[in-house]
Amino acid sequence: MKKMYLIIEREYLERVRKKSFIIVTLLMPILMIGLMVAPTLMMLYSTSDQKQIVVIDKSGRVADKLQPSAEILFVEESILSKAEACNVYNEESGIFGVLYIGEEIEARDSVQLITNSSLSPMLEENIATQISSIVEREKLLAYDIDNLDEILANVETNIELSTYLNDGTGAEESMESTSSGMNYILGLVLGMLLYMVILLYGQMVLTSVVEEKSSRVLDVMVTTCTPFQLMMGKILGIALVAITQIGIWALLVISSSKFLLPTLLPADIAATNDMMLGTVVGTLGDTGYIAMLFAYLLLFILGGFLLYASLYAAAGSAVDSVQDGQQFNTVIMLPIILSMIVMTSVFSDPNSSLVFWGSMIPFTSPVVMVARIPFGIPTWEIVTSLIVLYGTFIFTTWLAAKIYRVGIFMHGKRPSWGDLWRWIRQ
Amino acid sequence: MDNILQIERVSKSYTGHKALDDVSLNVPRGAVYGLLGPNGAGKTTLIRVITRITLADSGSVLLDGKTLTANDIFKIGYMPEERGLYKKMRVGEQALFFARLRGLEGREAEHRLRHWFERLSIADWWDKKVEDLSKGMAQKVQFITTVVHEPKLLIFDEPFSGFDPINANLLKEEILGLRDRGATVIFSTHNMASVEEICDHITLINKSHNILSGSVEEIRRSAGGNNFEVLHRASDTSFEQALAGRATTIGQSVGVVGGFRQTKIHIPEDRDIRAVIASLNDNCELRALREVMPSMNDIFIRAVNGTL
Repeated sequence: MKKMYLIIEREYLERVRKKSFIIVTLLMPILMIGLMVAPTLMMLYSTSDQKQIVVIDKSGRVADKLQPSAEILFVEESILSKAEACNVYNEESGIFGVLYIGEEIEARDSVQLITNSSLSPMLEENIATQISSIVEREKLLAYDIDNLDEILANVETNIELSTYLNDGTGAEESMESTSSGMNYILGLVLGMLLYMVILLYGQMVLTSVVEEKSSRVLDVMVTTCTPFQLMMGKILGIALVAITQIGIWALLVISSSKFLLPTLLPADIAATNDMMLGTVVGTLGDTGYIAMLFAYLLLFILGGFLLYASLYAAAGSAVDSVQDGQQFNTVIMLPIILSMIVMTSVFSDPNSSLVFWGSMIPFTSPVVMVARIPFGIPTWEIVTSLIVLYGTFIFTTWLAAKIYRVGIFMHGKRPSWGDLWRWIRQ
Repeated sequence: MDNILQIERVSKSYTGHKALDDVSLNVPRGAVYGLLGPNGAGKTTLIRVITRITLADSGSVLLDGKTLTANDIFKIGYMPEERGLYKKMRVGEQALFFARLRGLEGREAEHRLRHWFERLSIADWWDKKVEDLSKGMAQKVQFITTVVHEPKLLIFDEPFSGFDPINANLLKEEILGLRDRGATVIFSTHNMASVEEICDHITLINKSHNILSGSVEEIRRSAGGNNFEVLHRASDTSFEQALAGRATTIGQSVGVVGGFRQTKIHIPEDRDIRAVIASLNDNCELRALREVMPSMNDIFIRAVNGTL
């Protein structure tokens, strides 16, 4: 244990003290905050030029009711023919395009937008919706109903469905509220997070194993500790590096979004952010439940990382150069991608057998189980999944150590089955 | 004799060639044991078999009469040829890491290391990075990390490579010091001068075979072939005559110093040395006569060429 601790300490300190680590750790939050703030600021302060659209309304029903917005300004020139308008309002004119509305609006190809440059889907949507609602309203008016606006406002309905997990009491206060939408996002975020963490730090384990093999340090390490201690030490050391770095990031991003963002963003947008967060927390349930969810989440993401890191260790043990090791990247990443696919079916049925097994098999369980937990999964399933996950991690690390050791024995030799058997037993 | 390490009929082959072929040897407790041999003879492979970095295809290695196990290895001190240090780490930290990995407590380890660093006059390297050290400098650090836990058995692979004569001497002194404090030292080398000075026993490995094993003293004597150096008055005319039938001169006379000539002679084994001395004494002014032992270098070359 003491030796493993020493190896963990060495791996950890070597990485954490590197200049590159410190720079990336400090730079990343700045970039992340930049990513959060920049689009909002750009939206707020950029004077996106208003696009002018010439409207030729042959029906005479729409043109005067089109609402201009920050992006579009409509100019009516219904006396021109379509061809004339296109001719005059070409690219040099500075006009964005020509909206042509034929006499029979609802006829096929009757409403046309002819633009001088590519147009955004948002703009297209805006115009189409406006015309539709103008025509719709016109039709409704044709029925000659009194108080039409009042009626329409009354008719508009928005039902909120509260979902609970049945605990047999019938009292919703005691029942867990569930939210599939939130779970979906949570699962997706976790899957992405795990993917990124593995991509960032798993590679580190591989490099660490391979680099040591290419120098004589290997000789010294092999004669001072067991391969299992070495592998486990490396994996846990790098896991600590990951925890440190992500922890610092989280801390910096959260504290700056609390204190820095409000000064950068106008008050109303900051308030919306807070409200959104409030809604997220609200849909998840009470704080005790959130704490438990968070604890499970950490356990699964750590377990997932450790398991995949041990796979990288095994890959590193089997190859002689980092380049060769990268070949394994795709193979190692495949189960994560698979688990994200399985995860999506959690939302159609959180108890289907595909999802159940997906949350038990350790290679997919970190992502799939975390997506399942908010739906109210029996504790034994969660605990079993965790035991299997961590058990597999220890087994793969042991296996990586064996591969590492046999790899050294194999050096410069084509082994026979007999050799392999003898070495594995060592 | 009490052997700390016995190697029995060890063979190891790599793809395409046999690195060790039926090698046996015994390392007496408390000896400084040299593994000699030309490049590629199999010295490093033998050391890696002893340290269980690699496993022999056949044969066995016994420590204190018992089959060597993985745990035994953790108790010995082993220094690989070079590059056995983490490049990115600082010297002191790294020394502490290895010392603690080899079982010393943190405070004790630092205390001993500081002492060793002073001894080898590298105290001011403590905070340097290993990648900034020269080959010899790094070798010193490696040496310290290998011996700091004072193991009973020490194994060095080419400890003198990369050292200038002054530092090589320093290292020799330290190796002898370790022996005097009760350690058994095994090292591989092709530096013959170091062998003569510090080894008690040697094994000469050539082309994966053990071709010569034994105590340095015995080997030199048996390879010596009864050669002597005679110092006599240069004006003696009857020198050759005095030797006639009893001994033969070897090569040219070395030269005259202060009126005395130095000549190398060979006395066949069946002749009585006293008779030669008596004859010389009667006929010349004999100043000195002493046995000439071949240098290990000569023995090495002759053994490798098969003319020993």
